[in-house]
Amino acid sequence: MSTPTSSSVPAATSEPVVAPAFLSSAWRIYDLSLGQMLWSRRTVFMVLVVGGPVVVALILRLLVTMDLVSGRGMVDDRPIIVDGPIIFGLMIWGFYLRLSVPLLGVFYGTALMADEVEDKTITYLFTRPVSRGAVLFGKYLAYLASTGLVVLPSVMLVFFLVVPLLGGDIGSNFPSLVTDLALLAVGLAVYGALFALIGAWFKRPLLIGLVFIFGWEPIMVVVPGYMKRVTVSYYLQGLVPHATPQEGLVSTILSILQANEVLPSAAVSVIGLGFILVIGLGLATWLVERREYVLEQ
Amino acid sequence: MSVPVVAAEGVSKWYGQVIGLNDITVDVQPGVTGLLGPNGAGKSTFLKLITGQLKPSQGTVRVLGEPIWGNPALYHRLGFCPDQDSFYERMTGQQWVTALVRLNGLSETDAVEAARRALDTVGLLDAADKKIGAYSKGMRQRVKLAQAVVHDPDVLVLDEPLAGMDPIARRKVIRLIKGWGREGKSVLVSSHILHEIESMTSTILLINNGRILAEGNIHQIRDLIDEHPHTVRIQADDPRRLAHAFIEHDGVRSLTFEKGAVVVETGKPDAFYGRLTQIAASGELGEVHEVSSPDDNLQAVFEYLVK
Repeated sequence: MSTPTSSSVPAATSEPVVAPAFLSSAWRIYDLSLGQMLWSRRTVFMVLVVGGPVVVALILRLLVTMDLVSGRGMVDDRPIIVDGPIIFGLMIWGFYLRLSVPLLGVFYGTALMADEVEDKTITYLFTRPVSRGAVLFGKYLAYLASTGLVVLPSVMLVFFLVVPLLGGDIGSNFPSLVTDLALLAVGLAVYGALFALIGAWFKRPLLIGLVFIFGWEPIMVVVPGYMKRVTVSYYLQGLVPHATPQEGLVSTILSILQANEVLPSAAVSVIGLGFILVIGLGLATWLVERREYVLEQ
Repeated sequence: MSVPVVAAEGVSKWYGQVIGLNDITVDVQPGVTGLLGPNGAGKSTFLKLITGQLKPSQGTVRVLGEPIWGNPALYHRLGFCPDQDSFYERMTGQQWVTALVRLNGLSETDAVEAARRALDTVGLLDAADKKIGAYSKGMRQRVKLAQAVVHDPDVLVLDEPLAGMDPIARRKVIRLIKGWGREGKSVLVSSHILHEIESMTSTILLINNGRILAEGNIHQIRDLIDEHPHTVRIQADDPRRLAHAFIEHDGVRSLTFEKGAVVVETGKPDAFYGRLTQIAASGELGEVHEVSSPDDNLQAVFEYLVK
């Protein structure tokens, strides 16, 4: 022990202390949590998830460079040409929006509070003058930042590797990259909010989340009827055709996947996603405020 | 009488079929109060209820006259040192205490300054920039204390704050707690070691099986100490040399060795702890890493009390 000077409790500040407001508290929780989230074991998983498309893009580029892939073929006796932007559009939908984003959402969103409870560090946050809802919201912001910091560079890497292939042009396709990045950010936000709610509500949130993204969503999206409206991917699909650079082929493939169902309009998609985001986060906050967290002794 | 620091009225807490606390009614007055009970007695449950981490299944808990559950503003006036050894291991002590006190509304500059003062108070200023993951058990206990006092609270709730500390750190923390009491802070400190509590205060709450058995200034408890042998486990560089030094001590009844440690049974714990602290301070018999005491000591006293 070094030399403790006196037994007096330190005076924290000379000015009267005011309880931080909700957003200010959430921001401070974000500040505290971001580093923890980025340097957690989950980050390794996150890098693996978003590293996959980069590896695929690298292999594709190698194959094209070696003239092993031509990008020309026939579908229903019609000649088709697949270029870099089309492949990129398919990768955005197939690898990111249908796989990486929901997976990251489920692994991080359900763990926003669970990690702190499991590590028993939640005590330090719950015995400070901040509302529990602000703790959840701050951690949600940290989730958005940490996943964004990993996913978005991965997408950009894939863009620069894939788009120039087979006659594609980076310059003319750059605006669509921005749209795609925005779409991915929306996907992360909405899935994160939904799984934050599931994490706050259920005892085994990860299992429920995985069933949702690998069972419920893929089935409901192709089953005719209204149930697809209680999925996130249905509303994301409504935005994808506007984001992908080559509507023709991507839309054709998507329409096959969707069993010829009509996609929601962009406006309906935005409203649907906004509704899930607000209700998910709002309910999660409400639940966390009322829930008791009993730490294992 | 002034408003009690903590007022629990008819408080019960159960976890499913398990009763943690059973119909507790108690007022904790200003000053240092010891919460004494064996492991599993309900101490931690009681402290979690009065720090608003748990909601009573029945009854009410008020701190400084206000209900604590769902009342985060009260944490401006309350500091809590939990018993669990959990941290953000990658942060330094300075970063961690600063980040936590920022949640009290302090600016970055004020928070850094308050954290440094708190770390200085608990004697950790030299290690402020070391990662918590590299701290010894005693340092980890002290950094938990630092985060509890960093915002200058009126009420301090400390759950087993001396657990795992070496004798010198233990003595200094006891001195700190007594000092906070003298300065008008209200401190509620739990332990399963009679000797520890007795060295901090004579105001004791005795808890066992989820019930408060007795409260107040309990002199009789002190007398019971000598009637029941007290076991102390000392982890040290050289337990055999330590044991040799203890053999000469007239209170020592038996000595047994464990891996890297010696377990001493003594009939005179006060004198024994005094001697142990001297030995640790001199360093002549190597470093003493950790001192712990199983709750069998207290269990024997409780069995006697509830007979």
